[in-house]
Amino acid sequence: MSVSVNTTRRELLALIVAASAAANGQEITIPGKRPLIVHNDRPEDLETPASYFSSWITPNDAFFVRQHLPRPSVQEASHRVALDGRVGKQLQLSTADLRKLPQYTVAATLECTGNGRGFYRPAVPGVQWMRGAIGNAEWTGPRLSDVLKLAGADLNAAYVTTNGADTGVAKTPDFIRSMPMKKALHPATILALQMNHEPIPELHGFPVRLIVPGWDGTSWVKWVTNLTVANEPNTGFFMNPGYRFPKHAVAPGTPVNPADLEVIEGMPVKSLIASVSDQQRIPLAPARLRGIAWAGEQRIRQVEVSCDSGRTWNDAQLGREDLPFAWRLWEYQWTPPKEGYYTILSRATDSAGNIQPVVATWNPSGYLYNAIDQVGVIVEKGA
Amino acid sequence: MKYLILLGPVLLGLVAGCAFAQDDKAAAARQEEQRSCSPCHSLRLVDSQRLSQAAWDKELTKMIGWGAVVSNRQLLLDYLSQQYGVCVPRTADPLSANGAKSHGSGR
Repeated sequence: MSVSVNTTRRELLALIVAASAAANGQEITIPGKRPLIVHNDRPEDLETPASYFSSWITPNDAFFVRQHLPRPSVQEASHRVALDGRVGKQLQLSTADLRKLPQYTVAATLECTGNGRGFYRPAVPGVQWMRGAIGNAEWTGPRLSDVLKLAGADLNAAYVTTNGADTGVAKTPDFIRSMPMKKALHPATILALQMNHEPIPELHGFPVRLIVPGWDGTSWVKWVTNLTVANEPNTGFFMNPGYRFPKHAVAPGTPVNPADLEVIEGMPVKSLIASVSDQQRIPLAPARLRGIAWAGEQRIRQVEVSCDSGRTWNDAQLGREDLPFAWRLWEYQWTPPKEGYYTILSRATDSAGNIQPVVATWNPSGYLYNAIDQVGVIVEKGA
Repeated sequence: MKYLILLGPVLLGLVAGCAFAQDDKAAAARQEEQRSCSPCHSLRLVDSQRLSQAAWDKELTKMIGWGAVVSNRQLLLDYLSQQYGVCVPRTADPLSANGAKSHGSGR
């Protein structure tokens, strides 16, 4: 929006009113999406309300969206994935080429690296995600390892670097990510052409998206255009200093030695209460509390629920779907003893024995928030 | 009633004055925010932050490095630090309208 130097005060006021109306969330509709929490409408950063997490699979129209850069418009017919670097032969693969390779379906939970950033105090800059920058989907496409082999890639090289069709505005850096060859060759790491058995939606990376199960959402590059095999990782902003976590706890406001920042890979153990929302009124009757729990590359071993502010904890029952990289549903039968206000908590433990902390480790960019989840409910007769 | 009708525009003006611009400086600052930030992203992303002046200053340095053109940095810094400072209560981000049935980029 440009403002001419001759803008009168009245015009300026009208402009500000219009901008404020837009900023207040009026008239924002995201085609193909149910109502989502709008943190940013240009580019779209949209959070899923926790109440939507009632099923093991998150439908595409409810799935959260995170974009660093404006969404590119990609034509599938002309779209190519280029393979270069340490490869036997450089390739330009169409989606038809990718479909000729064996197709695999992987269920995997995708969580934004900054999910929960809005809970950190002191506040840190960035999209103020709360609880819902997460979803679970089935992704279908060829294994990345098969694609690399097609190009005769040096499988002893250290890294595979992925770029997508999105590009930076002004001097904003391009969004490029590298991952170690070991993860690239993992059989669950795929180049997805489908999300929940439909072509991947534009907002989610149409026509091809990198799926890196168990790892932070930042690794899951959308609109993939380039795969480069190399012995060195990319050194752009989104690898360094972006998306790194300090090895040691740091005091807010103090600089972190760059050597103490590590690339984020697997996501930490975490759980969420989905069937009741904070400050909800519920009846004085047996309640079935439900939620989700996930643990990056680990498995969920246990979910415990407390309905008395953490004084006592009891095991929740885990859902039937139990696959690596995909979240577990859980439920817990609770009969409130009497009317009143109750703080309900959930905490998960993973297969390596990691347990959700009471307070997440503060860090300058607000990544990896995984504190015990909490909602307050008002129990009333006749609610 | 007649007085109320006459007062209407005055009251509206007062409300608008409180909400959007207490004075020319605030209006100019909001204009500066739009000019500087909105070429790359919506102002919603800016206005949902709650940061100290030092943190806002750091953000401005980062964004200018990424190509933001800020003509009056001090004005913008003062505005952001006051309007979206650590002591300002947060407001919940809104829900979008239902677009699930319209075919588009989300599907």
